[in-house]
Parts: sequence; C-alpha cells; structure tokens
Amino acid sequence: MKIRSLLATVASALLSVGGNAAAADIVAVVSSASAITELSKAQISEIFLGRVSRFPNGALAVPIDQEEGSQARDEFYLAYTGKSPAQLKAHWAKIVFTGRGQPPKAVPNSSEIRRLLAANPQAIGYLERSAVDSSVRVLIQP
Amino acid sequence: MLSFSAFGTLGIVHSSEERADFTSNLFKPNGAGYTHAWSPDVDSKVGGQIIASLTSQLSAMVQAISEQNYDGSFTPHVEWANLKYQFTQDASVRVGRIVLPSFLFSQSRNVAYTNPWVRPPSELYSLVPVDSSDGGDFSYALHSGRVNQTWVGTYGVTDSKKPGGGTGKARRLWTISDTIEAGSLTAHLTYQQGNLTISNLHTLFGAFRRFGAQGDALADTYDPYNRRLTFFGAGAMYDPGSWFLIGEWGTSEFHSVLGKSTAWYASTGYRLAKLTPYLTYGQLRGTSNRSDPGLNASSLPPALAGRATGLNTALNSILGSIADQKTVSIGTRWDVLKDVDLKVQYDRTRLGAGSPGTLINLQPGFQTGGTVNLFSVAIDFVW
Repeated sequence: MKIRSLLATVASALLSVGGNAAAADIVAVVSSASAITELSKAQISEIFLGRVSRFPNGALAVPIDQEEGSQARDEFYLAYTGKSPAQLKAHWAKIVFTGRGQPPKAVPNSSEIRRLLAANPQAIGYLERSAVDSSVRVLIQP
Repeated sequence: MLSFSAFGTLGIVHSSEERADFTSNLFKPNGAGYTHAWSPDVDSKVGGQIIASLTSQLSAMVQAISEQNYDGSFTPHVEWANLKYQFTQDASVRVGRIVLPSFLFSQSRNVAYTNPWVRPPSELYSLVPVDSSDGGDFSYALHSGRVNQTWVGTYGVTDSKKPGGGTGKARRLWTISDTIEAGSLTAHLTYQQGNLTISNLHTLFGAFRRFGAQGDALADTYDPYNRRLTFFGAGAMYDPGSWFLIGEWGTSEFHSVLGKSTAWYASTGYRLAKLTPYLTYGQLRGTSNRSDPGLNASSLPPALAGRATGLNTALNSILGSIADQKTVSIGTRWDVLKDVDLKVQYDRTRLGAGSPGTLINLQPGFQTGGTVNLFSVAIDFVW
C-alpha cells in the first residue's frame, strides 16, 4: 500500500507541469471585495505574464508583483508559469524593448500587497499562505 | 511618467576562415576572420530606451543603439521611435519607426539576453534585407479560451546605408503577421512585401543598358531597381520551462539578381539550473539560377566585347555568390548574475558548392564551398 502511494506521488510529480509541488505555500489572492472566486493556474499565469488583461468575467485585471529577488516571487512564478527569475526577466525584456508593455508594479512585502488589494478590487496578487488575512480572498483553482 | 531601460552585449568572435569576414547582419562592413582574428564588432552593442506615458492611452518610445555601423563608426542610431495610441487593452496603433516582425525573434534580436543563443541563426535571419520601417503598425489581440492571438500590420518605407557606399531603399513596404500563444506554445506567421532598390547594383545594370536590346533584357531581369520583394515565414516555439524546441522556416523572393532563397532552422535546449545548453541546425539555400550567359560578346566590335565580357563576369559573380550554407551550432547560456548571462557558442558552417555563404569581404585565395568554424563568447545584460 505504501509503495503504491509512493508510486502515485512519483507519477504525479513526473506528470505535473513546472514543479508545482515546491511552492505549496504561495497562493494567488484578490481583494475580499472582488467578484472573482476562482481562477485556473493557466489563467493566473496569463494575467501575470501580460498575455491577457482581463478576468474571465471581463473585468480589468491588475496584477501586483512582489519585489524582484523575493522568495515569494520566485516560487510563485516557478509554480504558476514554469519560469525561473532569468526566464521571467527575458520574457519582460522582450515586451519592454519592443514597446509592447511594462511588467506589473512590484511592491516590497506582503502587507503592501494586502493594502493595494484592499484599495483596488481589480488587483490580483500572491502571498505566502501564512500572510493571508480576512482582507483578501484566496483564489480556488478548479 | 518616464521609464528608462538599457541592454547590451559584449561579445567576441573568432573565425577559422582568414580570407573572409563573418558578421551578424547585412549592415556591418567587417567582422571576424580576415579583418580581426578575434572581432568584438560582430555582437557587441549597447542600447538605451525611454518610454514616456503621456496619458493612459498615449505613449512615446525612443530606443537608440550603438554598434558597429556600415561605415565602421559606433555612432548611435535610432532603432525605434514612435508614438503609440492604445485604443483598448487589445488594440493599438503606432506611428513612427518600428522594427519589422519578420521572424519570431526579429523585434527583440538586439536584446541578446532575451535569446537562447549568442545570436539568432544567420541562415534564416539574413533572408530579409530590410529590418525596420518608417511608417507605423497596428496591433489587435484576440482571446478565445486558452488561445491568445495578436495580429500586427505594418506599412512604411525604409532607407539604409550599406557598407562600401551603396544604399538600400524600400517603398510600399508592408507586413501582416499573426502571433498565436497557447500555454507553452508560441507560433508566428508573417507575410511581407515591398519594392526595393539597391543603388550600387542599379549602377551596374545601367552599364548593361548601353548594349541595346540584349542589355535592356538582362537589366530588366536582374536590376534591383524598385523591384518586388516578397517574404513568407512560419515559426513555432514550445517552451514549458525546463526545455525548449524552436523551429522557423522562411522563403523570400526578390525579383532581381538576388533571386529566391529558402531557409530554416531547428533548435533545442535543456535548462539545468543556471545552465542552458543548446543545439541548433540551420540551412540556407539560394534557389535561383546561379549563372547566366549574359551579353553575347562575339557579335560586338572588339572594344565593346571587352566591356561586355567584364559586365558578364560581374553579373555571374553576383549570381554565383548567392548565400548557400548549413550550420550546426552547439553552445550554452549561463545565467551568471541577476540580469546578466554569459554565452559560449561553437558553429560549424559548410558553405554550399561555389558559394561564400553569408561571409563578406572575400579576399584573393578565398575558397568557396569550404567549412568555417566559429567560436563566440558573449556577455549580455538588461537593465
């Protein structure tokens, strides 16, 4: 029985995209005043990579990043987009140097994320699960 | 609000072919091999950019780059300069100078930090002799399910100066391209068309026209004066994060002495922490006729026959030197620091029979159809 569950774990790790196991404690969040309750990992990834600018319900989505070099940021991007910090840097450099956009605004810590989310129901961010409080809603991933 | 950013590459290239130069684009006068055993001019550059957001919908962009120019100087040139109006989140128009979206990496090719290689494969990226346009573009994005599509159209003109004093002019130059993104997959399709004039070759065909009807017929076939250039390209990249596979194909036809060419490459790489080793194969083939009997010198008086033979030799040397080559490249990217990478690349190029490939500055004793080994080291940064 133990071997079977171990095999199942190994198989799911092999099949999973972009190593989501390592970052179990980073969660995507919106303001508790937002109408959004669930978003898939792919939808979250596309908003943060600048490929889409709206939530599935049509409302404008404003992604907010944690500061470059922060552990939360690196873990979030690896888990949700499969990108390392260098790959993310290259992704945005391609967009910035062709005049197609700018990366999301970045803030220094999780209390700043919560503050911006509280001020803007269109904002979406990510936090360590331990930094979640009643001002934000953790997005369910269908 | 103003935002500043910069990028650059410090690179050095060694070529085993000492009787010709290898370089990275059609506008550089020399490079590695004959001019320098180790050339810093092939890849080195520095670029700076300012974007001014004037209103929430209107912005202005200027990007300037200093690199080896056609005349050997490093005077900065304006790569991008335009005003952008963003109608909606998905639609925008830009007026001014833009870089053409001919290939998957065309618009960002100068920002080597964003590329997996030291430079995009020369086989395909030398296929289109124009790279920017003064006019404008529009962009329209469509979203359906997990598929995001961006249609781009460009229209404009461009004037460029070529090494050795010639100029290139493109008129009525337009592009339509579609970039499709679905998860880890990106695909890119492009059609491009314009009318091109290459001044120094036009001068040569002016001399042909002095030989009456047969001279006119040859000039009408070959003179690159206001002649139609068409290009069709298709490429795709699959990049799930820990590895990538990229392939691009293109075919161009310039109704002149420079003729028709087709090129493609395939590249794959695997990411091992901060190292990304890669392997690339590229091929470029000139598919037009490689020689022409030219003017019939035997029917001419001796004094003119000598001139006609000289012109025939010039015509055949251009037809014969159409680039044809295959390259295998192996290299690695190393993400040394935040925002800085170091790349090392080895290329082995086999030149097609009778062709100098994409090499320039051919010297006496240069052998066509040989093999060239290139070794490149580059440090790239973005800021």
